[in-house]
This record gives sequence, structure tokens and C-alpha cells, in this order.
Amino acid sequence: MVAALQALYRKGRDQWLFQLREAEPGTVTLTNRRVFIVPTRAGMAFAVLLLVMLIGALNYSLGLGFALTFFAGACAVADMYLTAKNLALLQLAPGRAQPVFAGEEAQFELHLLNRSKQDRYAVWLGFQADGEPRQVTDVAAGGSSAVLLTARSSERGWLAAPRVRLVTRFPLGLFRAWAYWRPDAKVLVYPAPELPAPALPSSGAASEDGHGTVGLDNFAGIRSYQPGDPLKHLAWRQIARHDPALGGQLVSKHFEGGAVAELCLDFAALPLTMDLEQKLARMASWVLQAEQRALPYSFRLAQHDYGPALGDAHRAACLRALALFGKEGR
Amino acid sequence: MSSAQPHAPLRPATAVPHSAAAAVRGRFALPLTRDKADTLLLLVAALMVLAPHAAHLPLWISALAGVTLLWRAAITWLGKRMPPVWLLVPVALAAMAGVYLSFRTLLGRDAGVAMLVLLLAFKLLEMHARRDLFVVIFLSFFVLLTSFLYSQTIPAALYVAVALVVLLTAQLSFQYTGAVPPLRQRLRTSLKLCLLAAPLALLMFVGFPRIQGPLWGLPGDALGGKTGLSDTMAPGTLSALAQSDEVAFRVRFLDRAPTQQQLYWRSIVLGDYDGRTWTRVPRKRGLQRLEIAIQARGQPVRYETILEASNTRWLALLELAAPHVQLPGHRLRDSDEMELYTVDPIERRLRYQASAYLDVTLQAGEQPARMARWLELPAGFNPRTLALAQQLRARWPDAGAAELSKAVLARFHTPGYRYTLEPPLLGRDAVDDFLFGSQAGFCEHYAGAYVVLMRAMGVAARVVTGYQGGERNPVDGYYTVRQSDAHAWAEIWTTETGWQRVDPTAAVAPERIERSLARALPRPSGFGLAPLLDLQNDPDSWLAQLRYNYAALNNSWNQWVLDYNPDRQRSFLEELGAAFGNWRTALGAALAAALLWALRWRRARQPADPLDGLYSAFCRQQARHGFARQPSEGPRSYAARLRAMPASEEKHAAMDQFLHLYGMLKYGAGGTESRTASLATLNTLLRLCR
Repeated sequence: MVAALQALYRKGRDQWLFQLREAEPGTVTLTNRRVFIVPTRAGMAFAVLLLVMLIGALNYSLGLGFALTFFAGACAVADMYLTAKNLALLQLAPGRAQPVFAGEEAQFELHLLNRSKQDRYAVWLGFQADGEPRQVTDVAAGGSSAVLLTARSSERGWLAAPRVRLVTRFPLGLFRAWAYWRPDAKVLVYPAPELPAPALPSSGAASEDGHGTVGLDNFAGIRSYQPGDPLKHLAWRQIARHDPALGGQLVSKHFEGGAVAELCLDFAALPLTMDLEQKLARMASWVLQAEQRALPYSFRLAQHDYGPALGDAHRAACLRALALFGKEGR
Repeated sequence: MSSAQPHAPLRPATAVPHSAAAAVRGRFALPLTRDKADTLLLLVAALMVLAPHAAHLPLWISALAGVTLLWRAAITWLGKRMPPVWLLVPVALAAMAGVYLSFRTLLGRDAGVAMLVLLLAFKLLEMHARRDLFVVIFLSFFVLLTSFLYSQTIPAALYVAVALVVLLTAQLSFQYTGAVPPLRQRLRTSLKLCLLAAPLALLMFVGFPRIQGPLWGLPGDALGGKTGLSDTMAPGTLSALAQSDEVAFRVRFLDRAPTQQQLYWRSIVLGDYDGRTWTRVPRKRGLQRLEIAIQARGQPVRYETILEASNTRWLALLELAAPHVQLPGHRLRDSDEMELYTVDPIERRLRYQASAYLDVTLQAGEQPARMARWLELPAGFNPRTLALAQQLRARWPDAGAAELSKAVLARFHTPGYRYTLEPPLLGRDAVDDFLFGSQAGFCEHYAGAYVVLMRAMGVAARVVTGYQGGERNPVDGYYTVRQSDAHAWAEIWTTETGWQRVDPTAAVAPERIERSLARALPRPSGFGLAPLLDLQNDPDSWLAQLRYNYAALNNSWNQWVLDYNPDRQRSFLEELGAAFGNWRTALGAALAAALLWALRWRRARQPADPLDGLYSAFCRQQARHGFARQPSEGPRSYAARLRAMPASEEKHAAMDQFLHLYGMLKYGAGGTESRTASLATLNTLLRLCR
């Protein structure tokens, strides 16, 4: 009962008072209404100090004592204003985010833009769920600053950026201003590859249409290097002759044919006894192994049917299909 | 969660030089690390906070605090470890014992301040966490406050203001996490904070409800070093007081000011003489008070007095005061001798209004029998004086009191008598020694001798002490009466005229009454340069003008800052209310507020980004040529449309370049460092596109 009431209270507080909201697209400006401020512990101590000073001034009828006390109090108020201003009207924008494998740290790049004429110092950032923020940055007047926040990914699929809390105590540390922001950023989380890595499927239906164009068996000559070519295929002898510094180009060896063209990663061919996540983990592991060994592979998963290929784009497409399998609708 | 961008370590490792000399050189060459610089700044702030206390603390405490600060500075500078607790605790305990030995108490004002000073100094040695930093800073705030217990002058206030800015800068410096701006910029930031705070502080100072302190009994040493008139008079009491340049009170006449010769500020009436010391006539308990007949003529002189704390109970009122005086926070008593005194000693500055009648007949027609007490003289003292009195009496057997008085004053007027602050010591028969021996004395000698002579001749007489004169400050019209203006004069009584004032000093040193004492007496020599610097004698010199201005400033300072008490607050706020009740003032204030608001609104409307401002200026410019930008148009399509404008080649080039640069800055990923330069270029281009 109490717990339920507490939860209700917390929910009401968060939604009404702190205006917690869902992800907002694009650049978000921290309006004054979104910046909250309370005294820090030092600020509370300062209030007690002010009281003591006031009593001292009163007891000894110190005219200047009153002046000093009021001035110190006014400084605290000015500090409150400046602390809130240090955060208010800051503009926030999400940056790029690289896909990760489940269990890895997802990194969100966040941009802080300062359109005001005042430098903003000591702005702390962190995900709300992580407690007190541990990342800190300065944003120069008219400038911007990028911060990388990391969150642990647990599950394949899209990982939306959690709610970010921005905190500042600048300039005097007597007040703590904070604001919440849910960046409209998400990271694609691939299924964690199966460990230890299972052996690649040796046989498959691919053999019949296996007129592979690219293979490993027969050396067919050299061609200019293309991004994605495995390092061990570089034709070092030729490269040594054409010094790249003198305008020469990297070249790689070109092979044709071979059994590997038959490598097919087929979801449907996996044993029925495995559960879905295990199957996806195995597929992911295979994709990685094939890429590592530079074996062109074709990939089949439900409606996704990619022909044999190799390279970053292919790998990304396959892993993306694995990550989102069964989650497209969500 | 781990931080992907760990911020720079606070103590960057520095190379370790080989020799000691190299170490020193290295230390001077290397810029201080941030931590060290911040700590040293805090030490400077603490030093500034502690420095004013050196003036009144025992030497050993100042020295100990100084050594502690130096130690801390050395620790910071050399990067050594802080002293361990087992070392600090005994030192702190020993210091506490020292405070007890010095002050014989641990409570009280001075001992408390000494403890606070030591606490602050030791806390600097025991600073580990961020919390300790705040403790140090907050302690510093309080120690700053305690310095006002000893001095509340304008220079002291200015000094504290400077110390406060440094203290705030130190506090601010610890809050930076990344780049730390140079000290100058940090000082500017804290100054800006202070400027922001100032109006609010002023408002609180004026408007915060004041309560008259103290809230509880002050420790015995709360009010030290206050001087005032004593209620006895022996040779030397007044001349000791006259050496003091302290202000006794300040007076402003509300109407016309009396002349300098009329400024007799009456405090105490002395009638009992024991051969050496004059004391007040004690009033017997239960004795019914006399009916005092007073006839006043003319208009009263109204004036306002700001009385400094004297720790005595005597008011100084212009002769002859009308009895209705209101003293805030004090109960007043008056006596048959027309004195006014408070029940409790005056421990703080007081402001009151009073009025006086300059032309008064006091106790005329009183029965002579009632005046017998003013004729008593101690037996067996001053035989030669008594003989002189008989002689004078015999010479003018029919003369009245006035003639006798004239004869005595004529005697004082002979060249043998001198007026001096440093009279020789007198023996048992003090008046004899004075009249027939030294013939050199201060006002108390003359007044005392005069009264003894008059009494010996059968004229009722008494001594009055108080102040005489006062220096008018032409800047604000206030008269300043100092302790050095302390004076003693006499009163004689006759049936017809009542009590009449006679100032024997005027007979010997008339300039003393016409001007103030400081100018009447040659300063005792031997103070080296003092006589050369004493320019007071020339009221027109620029130095005197400066002094007058400073005195006027000090006076307003006392009234508006130091003595802004509940009464003052009430009257000020009432005046303020009245001023704003006036429709013209109210309208003016409303207009000013509206103007401020309009300015703010205008500023808020301006785009925050100068780039957007330039772009909209450009669009407005081209709109005047008939090529307004469509809302849907971006810079590139706008540029394409602008090419159709009939204009010079140059302008077209400038427009193209402007829009291109704008697009780059607005949407491209340009570095921030080139931004200012680019904005300047845009500005130039904008002028070309006109």
C-alpha cells in the first residue's frame, strides 16, 4: 500500500513537477521551466552561517555586520541565478551512435550548444538511472561541446538513449541546478555472438548455384585495392614497386572460384532444438567468423535473403537483420 | 558505467629535476598546477581575512596564525604531505590553553575572536575534502564579520569588500572542472556576482526588519575603550580627557545656530569639595524635590544630537535644556541642578532631538537658606585662598556677587596666569598652590579656584562640567564636539538673577571659548612632525576642506550604515512611502520600469546567434530591392533567385559569397575558432550587398 502510494507520488512528481517526457526529436532548448534548482549541502550550511552572522550582527548592533550578512545572502541569491543560468537555454542535440553487440557498452554522442554570450562551465552529464553524473564539460560562448555517454546494452534490437540528467553547481557551489532530457537517439544492438565460436556450416544448399565470382582458390590477378579487401590479400610485391607516396596505389590479389562461395548462413537450417536467441547468436557468430576469414557468405533469415558477399555493408545488413528479427513491428 | 572521456587529472605529473637548484628553477619556470594555484589563492584570501585582527590580538596569536599560513603555503608550494592529526591536535590544544592564559577565559568577545582566528588557521592545515574547503570559506566569512567588532570605519568596510571579492574568487576557482580562466577573468566573474548581489543587499539592508539588540547579555568586554566625562573633577581629569581627539557627539541645529560663545553643553554639576576633588551633591533619599523656578525668554533652539557611546550616563545638553528629551531605549532622570542622565550607561550611539533656551533665569527669588549647600567649603584647606577671599571682601564691602566675580576674573586676567594642558602637580592645598604658586592650569583649575573663592566670599557657586564649543563642518552643517572640547565652568547665584554662568577660563584664555580647544592651545611639542602637519589652524586650506569632507562622509556613514536601527528604519521607510505617495515620483518610477522592460523585451527579440542576425539583416536589405526571401527558401535557392537582380557585378559576387559563407557556417561543420573571423567577413560582405 505504502509502496504503491510512493510509486504514485513519484510518478506524479516526475511528470508534473520535473516534466519528464519522452524523447524529443532534434535540438532541444532547456527552457527556464525545465531547469530545477535546490541548495546543496554547502548551500544549507551557508544558510546556517547567514543566520549566525545575523544574530552576531544583531547582538553587537554591528551596522556593517548587517551589511556583510545581507551582502553574503545576496551573493547566494546571485549564485542561484547564475547557476540556473548556467544550464538554462543550453541547446542539446543527439549525435551519431554506433551499433554494438548485446552486453557491450553503447555509446551515445551528445552535443551541447551554447548560443549565449556567456561561457558555461562545469556542466555535468549522466544518465538519470546511473545516479550522480560523472561526465563533465565546459561549453564556450557561441560554441559547442560533445560528450560521449555510455550505457550497457543487454538485449538485441534498438536501444533508445535513456534519460539524461544535466547538473551544474557553478559558480559558487551553493546551489545545484539540474534538467532532464531524453535524447532522440538509439543504438542498434546486435545479438551477442555465440561463444565459443561454433564452426562454420560446411555444407549448404548454396553449392548448386555456387558460380561464385569471388573466391579464394585460384589466383586471378591483381586489381586496385577496395575498402573491405582483407589485408592478407594485399599484393605486397606489387605495392612495394609502386611507392604509394609517389602516386602508387594499393593493390590486392584477386582470386576466383572456390568452395567458400557455397558458404550459406541459413537460419532455417539451424536445428529445431535451439531457441530463437541461441540461433541468432550462432548466426551472428558465423557472420563475424566469415568476415574475419574473408569468406563470402550468403545470408538467409526469414524475408531477408542476401546473396553471397563480403564487406562492411553486407555484414551490417546481416547483423541488422539478426538484431531486429521479430522486433520490426515494435 | 565508465566515463569515456575522463577529464584531465588534477595533478599532472611533472618531471623531477636532478639537483635542488634545478628543482627551484623548475618550480619557478613551470606554471603552477591548478590545485596549487587554487590553494594559494585561498591562502591569500585567508590572509586578507585574518590581517585586520592582527591589530588587536596578542602578538603570539598573530604570529602563530602567520606561521600556520606560511606552513600551509610551503606544503602547497613544495607539494608535501599535510601534517598528521596526531601533530595537529596537541598544537591546537596548546593554542587553546594559550588563549585561556592570555584572556583568562574562553568565552567573551576577544577570546572568542582569538579562537576563531586560530581555528581558521588550523583548518587550513586540515583541509582534505571539498567539504573542508567550504568550512574554511564559511569560517572566513564569519571572521570577516568579527573584524567589525573592532572597526567599522569606511576604510575598514572597503577593505572587507576587497577581501570578500578575493574570498569569492577563491570559492569560485574550486568550482571549475575543465579549463580554468586566468585569475583576472575569475576576479571579474566574482565582481560581476557582487554587482548582481549589490541591489538586493541594499534592499535587504534598508528593508529587512531590524530588531534592537542585544539579544542576550553581552560579555563584559563587549564595549571597550569608550571614554566620557567622569562625574568627579580633580586637577587632571579633564586635561586627560582633552588629549583625546575622539568624537563625543555631533549636533545639527534645526533652525539658526547659536554663536560659538553660546555653545555650553551641560553635563554634570559638582558642588561638594573635599579639598581636592569635586563631586556631585548627593540627593538625600526621600527628600522632596525642590520646585525649580525657570523663566525662559525667546525662541528655543532646536537641535539634533548624535551621541557616541561613552559608557557613562551623562547627556550633554545645550544650556539651558528644555526638559522634554526623548531618548530611544533609555529611561531618563533629571536633577535639581538641571542635569539629565540615563538610568543605564549609554553603550551605543544615540540620536535624539532636544531644544534649549539661551536666555534663562534659573531659581531667581529662591530662599537663600536653600542655597547654603552651595557655600560649603572643607575646613582646614587652602588657608591662603580663604585669606584672599577675606581681603577681597574687605576691599569691596558693599559689592554684590557680580562685582566680586569681576574682581576674581580680573585677577585671573593678570599676565601671571597661564592656560595649559600640562600644568605642574599641585600639593595638598591645591587651590593655594594654583593661585599663589604655579598659576598655570586647565579649565578645571580655574573653575575650581573660582568657585572656592566665590564661596569663601559668601556667594553660592558651583562647578559645571560638560563641553564647550564644537567645530562646524561646512560640508554638512554638523557641529562635531570632541572629548578634547571637555570643559569646566562655574555658576554663581544671587536672589535677583538666579544662577548665572561664569567661565573663568574665558578670562585667561578667551580664544578657548571663541574657537575650539584644539586651536586655542599650542600642541605639546615633541611629537616630531605633528606641529608641521597640524593644519587645523587654517580652515581654508585644501587639507582642512578634505578633512571636513571626510568628517561629513563619516557622519553620514555613522547615521546611515552603522546606526541604521529600528527607529531610523521606520522613519526612513515612512519618508520613502511619502515620497512615492507623490504622484510625480510614482509616475517617474513607473516610466523607468516600463523603459527597462521595453529594453529587455527588445533585447530578447534579437536573435541570440549573431549569424542569424546578420542573415535577417541581409534578407531585409534585399527585400528593399524587391527580392524578399520566401519563407520556404534556403540560402542556396535564394542565391539563385537573387542572380536575377539588376545590380553590379561586385554586388552579385558579394551576395553569392555572403550566402555561401552563411550556408557554410549555419549548416556546415565549421570549427568554432574561425567563427568570429567569418562573422567579421560576413559583416563586410553585408555592407557590399547594400
